[in-house]
Amino acid sequence: MNVTSTPAQAVAELRAAGTDLSERRRSGVSTGPLIDIASGRYGISWGDDGTATLGALTTIAAIAADARLGAAYPGIAASAQGIATPQVRNLATLGGNLAQRSRCWYFRNPGIDCLKKGGSNCPARSGNHLYGVAFDLGPCVAPHPSTMAVALLAYDARITTERRDGLTITELLGDGSNGRADHALLPGEMITKIVLPALQTGEHATYKRAISRTHAEWALVEVCARVEIVDGTFRFVRLAAGGIAPVPLRLTACERTLQGMSANAAVIAEAAKQATSGANPLPMTGYKLDLLQGLVRDILERLAA
Amino acid sequence: MSTTTINGRVESLPDDPEALLVDVIRDRLNLTGTKLVCGSGVCGACTVLLDGEPVVSCLLPAGATAGKKLTTIEGIGDGKLHPIQKAFMAHDALQCGFCTPGFVVEATAFHRRWRAAQGTAIPSREEIAAALSGHLCRCGAYEGIYRAVAAACAGRFDGDDPIAPRVEAYDKVTGLARYTVDIRHEGQLEGVILRAPVAHARITDLDLAPARAVPGVAAVVSLLADDQMVRFVGTPIAAVAAKDRRSALEAIAAIKLNREELAAVIGLDAARREDAPVVFEKKDRKRAGNVSELNGAPTSWKGNVHGPSAPFSQKGKRARRLLAEAREACDPLLIEETFRVSTQQHACLEPHAAVARFDGDRLTVHVSTQAVHDTMEKIAKRYKLPRDKVRVIADHVGGGFGSKGSLGVETIAAIELARAAKAPVRIAFDREEELSVTGYRPAAELKLSLLPSVQGGLKALSLTAFADTGVAVNSMIAGLARLIYPAQAKELVDFDVLSNLPPGSPFRGPGGPPMAFALEQAVDEAALRMKVDPIDLRKRWDPDPNRQRLYDWASGLDVWRNREPASSRSGRYRRGVGVASGYWLYIWQPGSSIELAIKDARIIASCAVQDIGTGTRSVIANTVAKAFDLEPQDIEVRIGHSNLPEGPGSGGSRVTASIVPPTLLAIEKLKMEMERTRARPPIAGSNAPWRELIAASPDLVVSARRPPDSKAPADIKSPVRQLGLMGLVFGWMLRNFNNIVVGAGMPSSVQVMEVEVDTWLGHVRVLNAYVGLAIGKLAAPTLARSQAAGALIQGIGYALYETRETDPSTGQVLSASMDDYRIPGIADMPRLEVHFDETGFDHVPGGSVGAGEVATVPTSPAIANAICNAIGVRLTEIPFRPDRLVAALKGRAAA
Ligand code: FES
Ligand code: FES
Repeated sequence: MNVTSTPAQAVAELRAAGTDLSERRRSGVSTGPLIDIASGRYGISWGDDGTATLGALTTIAAIAADARLGAAYPGIAASAQGIATPQVRNLATLGGNLAQRSRCWYFRNPGIDCLKKGGSNCPARSGNHLYGVAFDLGPCVAPHPSTMAVALLAYDARITTERRDGLTITELLGDGSNGRADHALLPGEMITKIVLPALQTGEHATYKRAISRTHAEWALVEVCARVEIVDGTFRFVRLAAGGIAPVPLRLTACERTLQGMSANAAVIAEAAKQATSGANPLPMTGYKLDLLQGLVRDILERLAA
Repeated sequence: MSTTTINGRVESLPDDPEALLVDVIRDRLNLTGTKLVCGSGVCGACTVLLDGEPVVSCLLPAGATAGKKLTTIEGIGDGKLHPIQKAFMAHDALQCGFCTPGFVVEATAFHRRWRAAQGTAIPSREEIAAALSGHLCRCGAYEGIYRAVAAACAGRFDGDDPIAPRVEAYDKVTGLARYTVDIRHEGQLEGVILRAPVAHARITDLDLAPARAVPGVAAVVSLLADDQMVRFVGTPIAAVAAKDRRSALEAIAAIKLNREELAAVIGLDAARREDAPVVFEKKDRKRAGNVSELNGAPTSWKGNVHGPSAPFSQKGKRARRLLAEAREACDPLLIEETFRVSTQQHACLEPHAAVARFDGDRLTVHVSTQAVHDTMEKIAKRYKLPRDKVRVIADHVGGGFGSKGSLGVETIAAIELARAAKAPVRIAFDREEELSVTGYRPAAELKLSLLPSVQGGLKALSLTAFADTGVAVNSMIAGLARLIYPAQAKELVDFDVLSNLPPGSPFRGPGGPPMAFALEQAVDEAALRMKVDPIDLRKRWDPDPNRQRLYDWASGLDVWRNREPASSRSGRYRRGVGVASGYWLYIWQPGSSIELAIKDARIIASCAVQDIGTGTRSVIANTVAKAFDLEPQDIEVRIGHSNLPEGPGSGGSRVTASIVPPTLLAIEKLKMEMERTRARPPIAGSNAPWRELIAASPDLVVSARRPPDSKAPADIKSPVRQLGLMGLVFGWMLRNFNNIVVGAGMPSSVQVMEVEVDTWLGHVRVLNAYVGLAIGKLAAPTLARSQAAGALIQGIGYALYETRETDPSTGQVLSASMDDYRIPGIADMPRLEVHFDETGFDHVPGGSVGAGEVATVPTSPAIANAICNAIGVRLTEIPFRPDRLVAALKGRAAA
């Protein structure tokens, strides 16, 4: 819709496939200079030690479909399969997925100012934040949109940019306290590759999101989980969640509770309650805690089965 | 300059890094089969193949396709029909057809992968749904799409071209069908509307000169009302026509305005507060828009509240007294509840659009409209033009659902810009406009009290509706509860609550779904308390003969007979079964006329009606073909042009009942003419006598107007009569002001839904839907089924997903993208059984009435009742999103 509004600040944005940026260009939310990523790393390669390196320009579809990746890092493949739609996955890149901007409907509306557009406050906080965070970690209440970031957090992935090496997801995205940005990349800094550490164990992993329809919807809550179960007990549990905070979160209290416990439904149900530990939902986002608990329970039960 | 190969041809790509592939394909190469809808990668209408893989062209920078191979819908099948296209035609996997090219392109890619890996095995519904999860169809053609894709994969369409039940199906599956947004005249300009950024203000100063100075701009016009007021975000202020969209956008950004901002009030609750800012001062009240297709009864105002309007109350005071006594006595049968329904957007895939062009003193306007004839008349009146100088054209319309029934600002602006610029001008709304300012079914708060009598009858009913109508009036929800479940007394009161939001508008069965949502849940609750089977209670309370037969059908369904009480359900996933009932009025439009001609040995049927996906062409073709033992494809149907004989608007489910009777009459006339003029009788024993006669016939023309119905049998009542004196007044007003007649008999629907609730994730899935419909004889059976399926899935959207969200302080619509306004996808379509009861309308010539509205009325309460049966909790507010489900399960109020 065409309304007179103040232009956003003119910071150059990098464009990979453009699946996030094109919409913001069309609506006028992004108006600054544009830099096309002319060339970059595409595809998946494997180290002798079993590490996988994903070029930042690898498409989500390629990640979702790669058999070896699916076997070694099932949580990564399952996460990629859950993203967007087939026609978007065929274009969208891993680097772009990590560096995409918020889906907040205030941010996306060219007629409204907000922190992320240079404004002075977050209008969603006092306004309509139905899809906002339940772990309120900073001035902006929009959850981070990247599903791959959740998966990469679960796998302790390291991110390389043209300027920096070995960034963790937390270093890449920050701790959620900077409401103005969706990531901590410097202006013009391009992600080049993502390295997944080798896995020693015979673990299981998967990903799932809670949404209202059956397919193709931004996650209300999403969880990527890895577990190793030996002799019926959890030897290793790793839970990362999205949709609930300005950055993907590890559910460490829940992980700790499960450590060494037997992998049965009763234990899981009890431990899932820990998933929400530390949450401070907004007036409209309390439901996300129920969904988070339900999702953790769902995923762990399936992994334990 | 780089190049790409599109459908085998090398094409140059623009150097502009901002150019998106969809715009290059549509605007530069004129390959208009690819559609632009959401512009955000959600709906899939813009899907093309990039080196064989489906991608969304609306997000893809054109430059990224350099050196690659692209295939658009026009390139599918290499000049022949692809098996997927044939299957879509045969299975009627389309209605308006606007989503169809995208679905077809994607499905061909799936078909190729499937055949390579699985041969002619049949893919499951889940596999098809996952492959097509990036596509949305607002008409709800999903059922046909499932069948089509499965059959094509199984190899059933590898051979000959099929016969399609929908006569224009070929054009729609090949991308040839031209919609308003596809019209491209020589020298055509692009128009854009400047809209208000605030919800309430007076424009004190509007300077259009800077816009005129922008290069490429040909015309700028003001659209401000004479009171200079802005009453909602998005109020049209001015419009610009320029050589391209970018110049037009630049120009509207250059327009200078000063405004005096006024306090705004947003939404139902805020607007009812004592101290709320007032949207319309007394002198301005006539400026309020109209959410109804009809004129409302005069009623009073108090602040922002317009009402009470209670023309259809029946012994209202007595109802109030009976209910008060029951309340006093703590009558355990008294049911009192407040229900809330939310705002539903039409979300037509083709946006509101118009292309206006003057040739001398003749005006031609292509409009995406539900009423070509009426729009022509309105334009002629507004611009004081002779009617024969105005031509309104809508060959294909990408959905309407009630939102394209009146003369809209897109048409007005296009005409005024074209006149000022002396060049053709196109205006096509963008998705944000489409999902914010083009109308909606208003949200409402519904206060209901229902009192069964000790004898088990229905004693009293009170329903008061407060509708969230934005800057419009005339919502009727409660009043519709008069025509179902007679009671000793009913108090039915409607209020409009105005606030600084865009105006509501008619939407498929206006008022029907909200009324049914409240009433049908209350009846369900009454059955639970009275320990009576909910269908049996309806049979007892609802004497309508059409619904009586549908209740018998529903009672016999296995899913109903095997249903268990809510108390028996436990565990994470809980299934439930619910029923609900609904009706709509049978209306028709006097003056509707059909011309039948034989020209060059071919029958041509003409009418200024339009096909918005509802199947009007096919209804006419079928009716004529049947009378002459021909195939529908043999009949040439000319519609969509206002210079044809007067036709009805596509609203209120009136089309079939308006055009079939004159068509039958015209057929009789044509047969008589043929008899009179024929040179020799058909060859004795011919098995195609009509075909021969037509082949030998001289050119002939006959026409007929809609005749009145014959007298209905005594048990088939006219709703107008049932309503007593007010009904007669109502009927008279409809006939004289709206040119519609309410006929006898009620199109009815009884629906049974089976749902599954995931109590952990708050997710509701409709597993099976059983839709019983009494709409008389089917003029086009396959298409009637498609209509039923479409109405059902829109009802599911209403019940489970759809809601407009606004910012409570600025009045901005937040859900103005298809990411945030969630319409159902293919995987959300349940398995469907449709039962047509074809009796009940024999007094209508041809015996058919419309299907479009009635089938969406009972869907949301049937789902609500099924959820209640599954989890033992009654949810009173739609949509039943995960947040509401988990809150209800915990006995908490949702935010
Ligand atoms: S228009 Fe491209 S996905 Fe909707
Ligand atoms: S047929 Fe799919 S949107 Fe109309």
